[in-house]
Amino acid sequence: MTLLRLSFLVLILASIRAFAAAGDFVENYDTIYNSLTVEKRGSIVELRARARGTYALESAVDLSDPLQLVVPYTRSLYAGLFFQPKPDRVLMIGLGGAGFHRLFAASYPDALLQTVELDPKVFELCRTRLGFQPTERTPVAVLDGRMFVKRDRQTWDWIILDAFRGGFVPPHLKTEEFYRECAARLGDRGVFVTNLHATSQLYYSDLKTLQAVFPQVVLFETAGRGNVIACAVMYKDPIVTDPKNWPTTGTLRRPLFVDRLDLDTIRREHIAIPTLPRSAQLLTDDFSPVEFLDTVKTNNTGTR
Amino acid sequence: MLFAFYLVVVTLGILSMGFQLLASRLLNPYFGSSIIVWAWLISTFLAAFSIGSMTGGWISNLAPAPRRRGQLAGIITAIASLAITAAFGRTLLSQIEMAITDVSTALLVSCLGLFFLPVTALSSFGPQCVQFLASRGTPPGKASGIIYGVSTLGNIGGVMLTAFLFIPHFRVSTLLYVWLGVAIVSLASLMRLLRAPTSP
Repeated sequence: MTLLRLSFLVLILASIRAFAAAGDFVENYDTIYNSLTVEKRGSIVELRARARGTYALESAVDLSDPLQLVVPYTRSLYAGLFFQPKPDRVLMIGLGGAGFHRLFAASYPDALLQTVELDPKVFELCRTRLGFQPTERTPVAVLDGRMFVKRDRQTWDWIILDAFRGGFVPPHLKTEEFYRECAARLGDRGVFVTNLHATSQLYYSDLKTLQAVFPQVVLFETAGRGNVIACAVMYKDPIVTDPKNWPTTGTLRRPLFVDRLDLDTIRREHIAIPTLPRSAQLLTDDFSPVEFLDTVKTNNTGTR
Repeated sequence: MLFAFYLVVVTLGILSMGFQLLASRLLNPYFGSSIIVWAWLISTFLAAFSIGSMTGGWISNLAPAPRRRGQLAGIITAIASLAITAAFGRTLLSQIEMAITDVSTALLVSCLGLFFLPVTALSSFGPQCVQFLASRGTPPGKASGIIYGVSTLGNIGGVMLTAFLFIPHFRVSTLLYVWLGVAIVSLASLMRLLRAPTSP
């Protein structure tokens, strides 16, 4: 009987090995900032952060076509093109698995894409497991994003804020003061692009805080994911909140976008700014109960 | 009188550990909330508890007149340093952040400059409270157990109230001034209680 059970177990293990594609793996890492899981299935490598009993998808890359934007919201980040069509100098706060970077670097080979990442282990995994090799056009600084913005005196065409720690956004990257620091680093016609989660009360406070700093804010909702990409500019004129004033997608398209990024779809993701409830609070360095607002769910919940 | 005494002990416990959470929020815009920040913050508070307890133990064994002077020095230090943190904390942190590139060094300077003195001064009153009970007939071991037990309950209250009630509803700057006000009232009350005649 024992021999029979043993044989059965061996058979099951052999079946699992047969089904698992060669080279697939699941690895767990506890870093000084995150609890991460890297999972490779076929050509897809996912970087997830464990938090609140879930595995929040931070980033994913298709190693067979690294230019693919696997995680839907990374496509929506390209909405920045509608406001600053020449992203020669881009600052990205939050590296993740560099899901956004590959298509951008290939499509704009002369552009500088500077990334700031807090967690050195994320940077290491990004290179060793997700196949991202930084170049002098795509440098990565391992530093707190806010410290980088304060100390660095350069100006940028796009500043993209996409920094999360296991689904949480660090409170100091959500405040009016930080947005003002970013706004001061935007060049002429520069755009601030930030990834928001529209699943909790924090979303309304995010919008209120953005609107307190930036005269014009435009939203793009990634379908069914709970992500809303906010694009914000420091000028009032010309008006960019009306899509009629945006450049046509034909003029923005790049050859490598074909089958990877449909700007017309991004354009259709544009949504109006919702009416903010009275409970929406302006987030400042002095008052930013981000963790608490993030636990109060809104009705328009989607899956992250 | 004993009720007032224990109330002050609990309040000092609330002030000490609640202050740690306020300190973390004060540091947050300048240094984030990483494990590095917490390592320096917790170490600073533990160092302050340690030195404060030893200093307080030394003061409690002084003759009455120098002991009173020691208590007064502790109160003035606590209030003055809390006032500096409340009034100039952000300005000082902003300057430290820009002046010192290395994060750990900047955190060390910030934590020592803004949080070490108030917590050391507040902690110095623990042993004096033990001495107060012991001088009223409570065996020293029991007195020590009671004071540190009650104070630790205050610590728990301080953490929970600050995290779940104060920070979500009030500005950190407002809370720092509230801390200052409560420290003035509680330390003045404690000074009065400690001066009371030793007969129970």
